[in-house]
Amino acid sequence: MTESITTLTAPISLSTYHQLSLTVESASIRNSGLFKPNPYLQLIIDDNISRRTEVIKNTLHPKWKEEFTVLVTPLSQLVLRLADHHSFRKDHIIGEKKINFLKILLYINGKCENVELSIDLMKSVSQDNASNGNTEVKAAELVLLLDGLRIDPSILNQSHEALGETSNSQSPLSEGVRCRFRIRNNLENQRSVVHLRALRPPPGPPPLSNGAVSVSALESGAGPSRQDEPPVAPVATHLAPAPAATPSATAAPTAEEPLPPGWEMRYDVYGRRYYVDHNTRSTSWERPQPLPPGWEVRRDARGRVYYVDHNTRTTTWQRPDTERLARFQHWRGERRHVVAQGNQRFLFPPPRPHAPHSQPLLLPEPLDADHDPPPSGSGASGPPAAPSAAPSAAGATGAGAGAADEALGALPAGWERRVQPDGRVYFVNHKNRTTQWEDPRTQGQEISALEEALPPGWEIRFTEEGTRYFVDHNTRTTTFQDPRPGAPKGPQGAYGVPRAYERSFRWKLSQFRYLCQSNALPSHIKITLSRQTLFEDSYHQIMRLPAYELRRRLYIIFRGEEGLDYGGVSREWFFLLSHEVLNPMYCLFEYANKNNYSLQINPASYVNPDHLLYFKFIGRFIAMALYHGRFIYSGFTMPFYKRMLNKKLTMKDIESIDPEFYNSLVWIKDNNIDECGLEMWFSVDFEVLGQVIHHELKPSGDKERVTEANKEQYLQLVTQWRMTRGIEEQTIAFLDGFNEVVPLEWLKYFDERELELMLCGMQEVDVDDWQRNTIYRHYTRTSKQVAWFWQFVRQMDNEKRARLLQFVTGTCRVPVGGFAELMGSNGPQRFCIEKVGKDTWLPRSHTCFNRLDLPPYKSYEQLCEKLNYAIEETEGFGQE
Amino acid sequence: MAATRRLQKELNDIRQSGLKSFRDIQVDESNILTWQGLIVPDNPPYNKGAFRIEINFPAEYPFKPPKISFKTKIYHPNIDEKGQVCLPIISAENWKPATKTDQVIQALVALVNDPEPEHPLRAELAEEFLKDRKKFTKNAEEFTKKHSEKRPTD
Repeated sequence: MTESITTLTAPISLSTYHQLSLTVESASIRNSGLFKPNPYLQLIIDDNISRRTEVIKNTLHPKWKEEFTVLVTPLSQLVLRLADHHSFRKDHIIGEKKINFLKILLYINGKCENVELSIDLMKSVSQDNASNGNTEVKAAELVLLLDGLRIDPSILNQSHEALGETSNSQSPLSEGVRCRFRIRNNLENQRSVVHLRALRPPPGPPPLSNGAVSVSALESGAGPSRQDEPPVAPVATHLAPAPAATPSATAAPTAEEPLPPGWEMRYDVYGRRYYVDHNTRSTSWERPQPLPPGWEVRRDARGRVYYVDHNTRTTTWQRPDTERLARFQHWRGERRHVVAQGNQRFLFPPPRPHAPHSQPLLLPEPLDADHDPPPSGSGASGPPAAPSAAPSAAGATGAGAGAADEALGALPAGWERRVQPDGRVYFVNHKNRTTQWEDPRTQGQEISALEEALPPGWEIRFTEEGTRYFVDHNTRTTTFQDPRPGAPKGPQGAYGVPRAYERSFRWKLSQFRYLCQSNALPSHIKITLSRQTLFEDSYHQIMRLPAYELRRRLYIIFRGEEGLDYGGVSREWFFLLSHEVLNPMYCLFEYANKNNYSLQINPASYVNPDHLLYFKFIGRFIAMALYHGRFIYSGFTMPFYKRMLNKKLTMKDIESIDPEFYNSLVWIKDNNIDECGLEMWFSVDFEVLGQVIHHELKPSGDKERVTEANKEQYLQLVTQWRMTRGIEEQTIAFLDGFNEVVPLEWLKYFDERELELMLCGMQEVDVDDWQRNTIYRHYTRTSKQVAWFWQFVRQMDNEKRARLLQFVTGTCRVPVGGFAELMGSNGPQRFCIEKVGKDTWLPRSHTCFNRLDLPPYKSYEQLCEKLNYAIEETEGFGQE
Repeated sequence: MAATRRLQKELNDIRQSGLKSFRDIQVDESNILTWQGLIVPDNPPYNKGAFRIEINFPAEYPFKPPKISFKTKIYHPNIDEKGQVCLPIISAENWKPATKTDQVIQALVALVNDPEPEHPLRAELAEEFLKDRKKFTKNAEEFTKKHSEKRPTD
């Protein structure tokens, strides 16, 4: 990190000079005195070339329009200094900014053509004047135009290292620098603009400090007309002529409140009422609610509207209303639990220590410690404290590690191996004064810890097709049959292992891990982030890398926090960032109905002008989590996983995301509809942000009535539409991004529930808490079936428990507050066991109500058998 | 306009049927998803006035039920201060796409005429209704006189 750019062996092309046309256009100076300045701009390149503009007298808004042709290298540093000219005294510097040209080139992909830079020029302020302890304040804003330079992006890509090295010592480009392509001709630049948006801060716009961070913007999501159009009456061809029903919030008596300042009510040519916001020059069908206290509407340099919350010093694209704010509060409340949650997740419990034995070549000592919290943070000083005991894995590497330890050779310099009083081994890095569970010699090898050891002399190999087989070096024979005692035997399935085993999650996972390992790339990628701008930093760094690079080992650095990423840091990053994408203010994802845990794409996400890029980014990120075996905070809805697996969605899938809608479909299916005047046609509506969007289910669907005879087709089409409406483009962008890192075919082994387990991991389930917070219908606490049920739960392992929970509640995760806070589709809903049916029936579940229908089985064995069957039955017809 | 045709038909049917207990139906031609009308109850203590309600239909009607709210204040155990009312026929569990708005309105009128103190939204009124019917009736009458709208004359 201390390495400077000059010590890098930069490729020749990076230090080659290029001609660049730089036009100094204008500046806008903050008023700070009685007299207006006589400003001019000085441009210094690499500390040796200096150019300056004319002095323009007595103005705060100088316009120069002066073009300079300069020679630069991609590694050039530009200093822009705005000064006030005095005839008699030394000129006074109004503000200045140092710019790393490479960063700009990287963001615009080397295509420096008609690029407008808008730069905040800063000046130092003495400490006592400064607010927030900041000693730099924005003094002026400068607009430059760069043109006539194009550099092969592949050359730039070689420079990531260089950038990574320098970025630590400097503020990132996005701070105080905004960048966009000017439109020359429409079509060609359309794409460029999209690309360029990477430069602006993403959905969670900037903190307000000093304007040092670029303003991010948003358009008023509610308006039926786009911002770049003049504010005319809202007419859009795809809109239904009728404006949406007034949302319930405004339907309340408060609707009669006066309009906020700058708003006006008008009627269009059809006599429809709409609202004009003169502040933002936008229109809306929805009656505006006044902004909450502390909020303000602003416009960014591109004219887009966004909202500033001075209370939290954040910004958002969407006009805040009470509901959005409540969701935001809820989301923020989760934050402090996020990391703690992450440390509790695992896929398989760490293996018990076993006696030392000779290890087959391909199966090194299982690395379980990866799922433990990093024992000490960056601040460890003096002799590092011993790692705090982690509940789930004590003794994991204890006794067994001794023999394997030798085989790995000496520890790297500065490292020491120590043993806790309870026998658990940890490692001390004296250089960094940190401690960790992970052995630095094996850290980063993504090896599944799932396998039991093979007998001595055996080895696992894979055929070219990826089928696993076993080599017995003792007898020089090979076999597909797993020699380990516990391994399932029996007829072999399509993948050359016993069918029973093929169904097991562990086996599937090992296949997936094998695919990941055999496609891994050497070396690592560094991702440097700051916690305050986690989303933005992650977005920029992940999106500017070619996707395959994301398969390299990750090395995550939080700015200002020393410590090496041997797994703990990247685990934290995955968890934090996956929570961050849920920030309701970004409106990218939303919770599926009121069930708290599952996420789906928010159809309103289009209010964020760059939403498709963000979904692509999130797709990459989620794939990275799977690829690197990390967990994310919160899972997606089952239909979303099915979509990832390219499985057909059925009517049944709607139930988990929209039970009301589902019930109506079922009613239509089950009843003769010819007699009841449904007045339904092959067309449907839904509402996003106050707009009603109309859709014909088939050509001329508006003219075809739904009847008993054609309702099957109707239900099919409605189902299809319900699952994709408003989110299709986003889904495709997500899958695109995902597929670039992990080909979707690799998931083919799994079903949707297993995918969720892989992504989110499992938690230790507190059975006492579960039992305490369970209610019964037509059973009592003392019914014998209930007693058997809990006996069954207590004797199963964590995977089974997680899957039982998933079967009944739709998720394998328990809320932060335990089972007492379990949510159903209509608010809090405890786990419920209801007596239903006869003992020949299978158990069924109602995930919206967290309810298990448990027939009155005659014996404990029968109950176990039926429950096991229901849990394992992945196609879900065990679910009601 | 999936919901529009259905609502247009329902509206015509209701207007033609000339419901006595639901009058003065106003629908903004531009937005058929919002209806207003006057509930005219027959039973004391509410038969001294009329009560304006608003019916909001979701864009997904009839897959999703309408929502009803009172615009006129009313002293009633099943209707809260904000005008919200809990009507089983339009609850999530009971809703059927074949349910017609006139059935919903009739259910609402029945509820206004005969409060159901077993499922109250305002527990204190329910208690008064059960324990001191006289006092309840007196309060409700006064409240009706003070806040309700005029009953249509015809």
